[in-house]
Amino acid sequence: MRYYARKFAFYLVALWAALTLNFFIPRLMPGNPVDILMAKLSQRGGTVDPSARRAYELLLGGNTGDSLFQQYLSYLGNMFRGELGVSVSNFPAPVSDIIAEALPWTLMLVGIATFLSFVFGIVLGTFVGWRRGTWLDSLVPATTVLAAVPYFWLALILVALLSSAWGWFPLQGGYDVILSPGWNADFIGSAIYYGTLPALTIVISSVGGWLLGMRNMMVSATAEDYVLTARAKGLRDSRIMIKYAARNAVLPSVAGFAISLGFVVSGSIVTEQVFSYPGIGSKLLQAVQNNDYALMQGIFLVITVAVLGANLVVDLLYAVIDPRTRVSG
Amino acid sequence: MTNLSPVTVAPPRGRSGWRSMLPRWSPKLGVGLVLIVLITLIGVVGPLLVGDPSTIRDIGLTTPGGEFWLGTTLTGQDVVAQLAHATRGSLYIGLLVGVMATALSALFGIVGSYVGGYVDEGFNLFSNVMLVIPGLPLVIVISAFVPADQRGSWTIAVVLAITGWAASARVLRAQTLSLRNRDYVAAAKVSGEKPWRVITVEILPNLLPLLASQFVFSVIYAILSEAGLSFLGLGASNSSTLGTMLYYAQNGFALQREAWWWFVPPGLIIALLGCGLALVNFSIDEIINPKLRDIPRRDKAEAARTPDPVPRPDDDVVLTVTDLSVVYQVDKPVHAVKDVSITLRRGEILGLAGESGCGKTTLAYAINRLHRPPAEVTTGSVTFHDREGGDIDVLALTPGELRAFRWSKLSMVFQGAMNALNPVISIRAQLDDVLTTHRPEMTKAQRRARCEEVLKLVGVDVRRLSSFPHELSGGMRQRVMIAMALLLDPQVMIMDEPTTALDVVVQRGILREILRLRDEIGFAVLFITHDLPLLLELADRIAVMKEGEVVEYRAAQDMFEHPEHPYTRQLLDSFPSLTGERGSFVRSGEQTPPVDRSGEPTPSGGVR
Repeated sequence: MRYYARKFAFYLVALWAALTLNFFIPRLMPGNPVDILMAKLSQRGGTVDPSARRAYELLLGGNTGDSLFQQYLSYLGNMFRGELGVSVSNFPAPVSDIIAEALPWTLMLVGIATFLSFVFGIVLGTFVGWRRGTWLDSLVPATTVLAAVPYFWLALILVALLSSAWGWFPLQGGYDVILSPGWNADFIGSAIYYGTLPALTIVISSVGGWLLGMRNMMVSATAEDYVLTARAKGLRDSRIMIKYAARNAVLPSVAGFAISLGFVVSGSIVTEQVFSYPGIGSKLLQAVQNNDYALMQGIFLVITVAVLGANLVVDLLYAVIDPRTRVSG
Repeated sequence: MTNLSPVTVAPPRGRSGWRSMLPRWSPKLGVGLVLIVLITLIGVVGPLLVGDPSTIRDIGLTTPGGEFWLGTTLTGQDVVAQLAHATRGSLYIGLLVGVMATALSALFGIVGSYVGGYVDEGFNLFSNVMLVIPGLPLVIVISAFVPADQRGSWTIAVVLAITGWAASARVLRAQTLSLRNRDYVAAAKVSGEKPWRVITVEILPNLLPLLASQFVFSVIYAILSEAGLSFLGLGASNSSTLGTMLYYAQNGFALQREAWWWFVPPGLIIALLGCGLALVNFSIDEIINPKLRDIPRRDKAEAARTPDPVPRPDDDVVLTVTDLSVVYQVDKPVHAVKDVSITLRRGEILGLAGESGCGKTTLAYAINRLHRPPAEVTTGSVTFHDREGGDIDVLALTPGELRAFRWSKLSMVFQGAMNALNPVISIRAQLDDVLTTHRPEMTKAQRRARCEEVLKLVGVDVRRLSSFPHELSGGMRQRVMIAMALLLDPQVMIMDEPTTALDVVVQRGILREILRLRDEIGFAVLFITHDLPLLLELADRIAVMKEGEVVEYRAAQDMFEHPEHPYTRQLLDSFPSLTGERGSFVRSGEQTPPVDRSGEPTPSGGVR
């Protein structure tokens, strides 16, 4: 139980740190984001009533009479109530609505692609590590080339080849625009068709890291005493590989999976930019380009909370697959 | 993302091993260094040789050739000139971030864990929090708040360093924690050296390979992230990097206009540089964890099995080893076992004694063909004389026959207090898979009954079946190992230092258990240990090994009374006597045994 308590406490601290960062970054940076926001807002014909200004000032800092500490407390209160403010670029839609609309796209695309990449990497890494000293070793340098290629560069070249030149996949977007979003076969089929190439590019560029990590751990694990015991027991090779070597070797990769989730979300921002995918990453960029600070802050917060939550889930899962963590904490 | 998973880091050798800190030469390292040097030359010397990259000419999108090797951009700028300057810009940012991120991770990873206490807790919490907060969104948010005209290389580098150090800090912390408790560090501390001196002189040199690897990783991370940021339009505004070059190429629709010479080269340079750095990192990783080194591929030479397997002399013998030689086929082949011949009788305990590295473990493993490349059996034969009749030529068994032979005829007990049990599956599963493999006809209930039966035989509570190895004491783990070895009622059991890591009281209990089981069940034991006095008490006959050869091989009583070979006498004398008489070594009954000798860390020999 101590293990779980510690983990929950840690993620609470991390969440608090993220909220605090979110509060201080706009205040520490040069320029007055509130003025820029208000100017934008009035350009769009929004009514600049004092309460809206105050809400932005709480979020971004500015010339309020309150002390920094009071602003901080009010800010935390707003965050817990889910009041993320009003988007300027999509005025007058609340930030939370925009996020709710974009989030499922990112979760589905990035979630499935990351999971596939992890599974492929682990399975391939298991074989490459187990059959060390055979031709499979040459896979290792090959995957580093893939890992060293800038993701967007590879993705754009794939788009140029597979979509523009050969027309196998659509160029961009999340679904065929003549369809209206809904839970029907046409729309879901279209979403899968549009999502295949983005998912493929994510898998190609990230599978190498998993493969290499798993392969290295397999190499260490096959030298362990328990693998020797298993061989002396006369077990079949496949069983030794899976139940003894891989079962132990996969543990750091699972722990690493939690950490990599942050990178995954980051990667998705670039993915969505390349494919004009209607997810949270392209909304973040749109917010950045339009100086829509409220939307930007809201998305950063949601991404952080999502990553922290996923981390927590992986940590809890880790306790299930490694019995030792449950006692030692 | 190659370094994300915490690697099990092999302990670097002590202070003197400077040589071992240098990467071993390998084709990978060579290719990596060539790539890095070439690209660095492009970045350093290139800008001096090419024209002004921003000169605009009225020859937009010229195809490569002639004056412009790689063509021109949309506005007629020379791609080669741009590449040279952009490479310089990217290398600059990569180096800046590499230095800053490594310094940050060293500060939080090394200093924190060295100081310990609340500082360590705090630093560690901080690193972990920085690690889980997603980096790129944070970078984007920070860059977005910095006005574009103030966003130079330095700003980008600082932001990337701040978001990129945490993973390495964690790795460094783990390693420093293990170094902190090494003897020479403790010695320096006790002798009153100042903390900064201990860190820089005693700890830092041992962390150098790890720091180098983290530095290389940071540089890759920085160059890739910078390219990503620039692609999003958030890059450094006042300098040209490979990322900004790609940004302009993309916004000039280079790919749509099929101007590949504008879009492909910058990405290729990043990819080749990243690849070169990663290849160098492989070589560094191999210093940190020598297990990762490539094993050279070689053709397996068929063991020249001379002489032929031996027919059973009489029914009393269960195992005959004749002229067995094992060689480690490395650059200078090591003859680990030389022409060893031993016989094991039914129900006998044969002791195999010798110091660490004398080849006794190699011999034991070779009998069961558990030796691994580069170890090879070069000559000799191993014959198993089955109770049911028939002789088995062990060295000639096919892989399938060998699997069936192992454990059912000949089982092994390793140093169970160490890592011989799989830490992540239950005791039940580890006993059960022996039965499911060798006795597929048994029902689940029968298997369960058999598992409980053997546990009772060794005096372990059957409720322990659902435990995991870490929940058992060292002695109990060893009893479980013995129970496992009994599962299939084997005729021979090889025990490799089964009691070495246990304290003396537990050790006695286990030895008594082995003797009792031997008397009840009647298996033969090949008992391997460095503890000759213990064998004198336990074994019926003893073979003393030295440098791969059996130098003395006689009944235990004989050997105790008249040790013939000088080495045997030396071994007997090397154990401290409690009363001054050598006779006192024979520990019978409840007499206090000599001090615990748990110093030997793993089963010796280095077969694995």
